[in-house]
Amino acid sequence: MTENKDVWVYSEKPALQAELIACARQLTSHTGGQAIAVVLGPRSLAEQTLRQGAQRVIWLGELASGRLVEDLVPTLAAGVQAKTPFGLIIGATIRGRAVAGRLAARLGVAALADVLEFQWDGPALLARHMVFGGGAVRIDRPLASPVIATVGQGIFEASALQAQPNGEIETLPWVEPPWQAAVIERRSRAVSSVNLSAAKRVVCPGRGVARQEDLSMIEELAQALSAEMACTRPLAEGLGWLPRERYIGISGAMVKPDLYIGVGVSGQAQHTIGMSESRVVVAINKDRHAPLVSQSDYAVEGDLYQVVPALIRALKARKA
Amino acid sequence: MKIVVCAKLAPDASDIEIRSDGSISLERAEWRIGSFDLPAIEAAMRLKDAHGGSVTALSVGPQRINNSKLRKDLLSRGPDDLVLVAEDALTGADTAVTARVLAAAVRKIGAVDLVLTGEGSADLYFQQVGLQLGELLEVPVFNAVSNIEAKGSQVRIERSLEEETEVLELPLPALLAVTTDIHTPRLPNMKEILLAGKKPVYEWRLADLEMERGLEPRVEAVSLRAPRPVERKRILIEGSPEDAAQTLVGYLAKEGVV
Ligand SMILES: Cc1cc2nc3c(=O)[nH]c(=O)nc-3n(C[C@H](O)[C@H](O)[C@H](O)COP(=O)(O)OP(=O)(O)OC[C@H]3O[C@@H](n4cnc5c(N)ncnc54)[C@H](O)[C@@H]3O)c2cc1C
Ligand SMILES: Nc1ncnc2c1ncn2[C@@H]1O[C@H](COP(=O)(O)O)[C@@H](O)[C@H]1O
Repeated sequence: MTENKDVWVYSEKPALQAELIACARQLTSHTGGQAIAVVLGPRSLAEQTLRQGAQRVIWLGELASGRLVEDLVPTLAAGVQAKTPFGLIIGATIRGRAVAGRLAARLGVAALADVLEFQWDGPALLARHMVFGGGAVRIDRPLASPVIATVGQGIFEASALQAQPNGEIETLPWVEPPWQAAVIERRSRAVSSVNLSAAKRVVCPGRGVARQEDLSMIEELAQALSAEMACTRPLAEGLGWLPRERYIGISGAMVKPDLYIGVGVSGQAQHTIGMSESRVVVAINKDRHAPLVSQSDYAVEGDLYQVVPALIRALKARKA
Repeated sequence: MKIVVCAKLAPDASDIEIRSDGSISLERAEWRIGSFDLPAIEAAMRLKDAHGGSVTALSVGPQRINNSKLRKDLLSRGPDDLVLVAEDALTGADTAVTARVLAAAVRKIGAVDLVLTGEGSADLYFQQVGLQLGELLEVPVFNAVSNIEAKGSQVRIERSLEEETEVLELPLPALLAVTTDIHTPRLPNMKEILLAGKKPVYEWRLADLEMERGLEPRVEAVSLRAPRPVERKRILIEGSPEDAAQTLVGYLAKEGVV
């Protein structure tokens, strides 16, 4: 496929889409093409996406009821084949990963998963991502075209909304998928959605918290700090104490807050990869040999059941 | 129901050795079944227990995955038989090549109703191979599947998305990539371990899979290194909880974060 120089982006999450547009603009400042966003949803969303900085929007219309975001794979594949962009960056949500993998298979390429940074080696694009559960950094060079990659939330910074965008909205013919799943039910799990990657302060309980009801104490600490609650993966997946979107790490959210406090968190690579760029890292752990302690600026050695209440008191006393 | 479950055999990440120059070595790493593939094997076994049929384990990779310990480990977890495509041409295969070899193997196995994969492989964890494989097989394919109920020629699945649970019904054959918490994997018992040595293992060559094309790499790994450690102050605060809390708040105030 001889590609042109445009970079397409797609995410079903508008906030992530804005970050991907920033990523595409960074790439096209090198390729010389345009940053083009694919939008599935109401026309108002297409217009908002132009304000987010897309130089053009490919608007696929609204998703018919009973259909899934993933149903856009054949349309996207046909569009990419017809218009031959340099690459397509997809938001690394669960649906986004499904779209990226299926699209890569259709287009005969391998998707670069969870890219943390793009670099250029002359005309060759390089992508950095983690392997071995955060234990190693790999730099990959795609050999086939188009470049398909997934990028998670919090990796690129969205630019401010433009008041007067001048991009155009075009359409692509919808291609019916060869099979369909029937949607039986959707149950929302998280009461409110959270954008952890935007949080300035994050309090992160881990398995050191013994019972679900003890999380109220951690929440009190988060409130005293005006921080967002995060967690390690076992608390979200497996125990189900907190929604999945709140866990930090290689398979969860990437955060770069000013302050991260890990409470009863051991600091395995799969977790720390998601918070290692925090400005100030604090660990509260009864084990001074826990890996997070040596990766923190300040570590309090002690039982979190004593340290956390004392910390809440100290913070309140300071405010008073 | 005829089920194929794909499991990757890969070096254990906890055995990575970091050299002083930041390069890493996997030479001494033990190869294991990916821990995220074990729940997929368990899901396959539960479906077989409930509906009958058979479970075939499938793994592709370099020659070293074809050893009796790994073969026994896979089979002692319940599958009826094992298909291995083990050739050094598959060392470091990218997701596209892996998915193509798996697709050819699934086609050769034939008349498969359901293909299961794990959430991600132990070494790469790209969460990609299953989705690519399903698309190559041209069957319904979903990731993040946390429950599977078979109903004749259909399956009803639950997907655990970031903010919602989605219940879908789809026709078989299908490919499902399951979550790590779909089931707790069983530990092989003595009987299973003894039985494992007697189960059939089919060793297929790439040449047997009639793959004339598709094996050229799509991605080249340029470098593999330990992550650069971030410099931290590493100040350890000891003492009574009250004193420690005061000290910490003092530091945090100085940092301007409280
Ligand atoms: C491929 C892969 C992907 C993964 N992805 C992620 C991911 O994205 N995010 C993630 O978080 N994990 C992930 N994991 C899991 C990860 O490896 C760790 O298992 C997990 O991060 C550990 O969570 P934890 O620190 O909460 O628990 P533990 O490791 O059990 O640590 C608990 C800590 O609490 C301390 N503690 C116990 N009691 C107290 C007390 N009373 N007071 C003070 N301290 C106490 C202990 O000393 C210990 O250090 C992944 C694993 C794999 C294999
Ligand atoms: N070489 C392989 N052999 C068998 N199954 C594999 C192989 N590579 C990946 N898989 C399956 O695909 C899933 C996703 O892999 P990955 O995209 O590498 O994270 C794994 O959990 C396995 O079930």
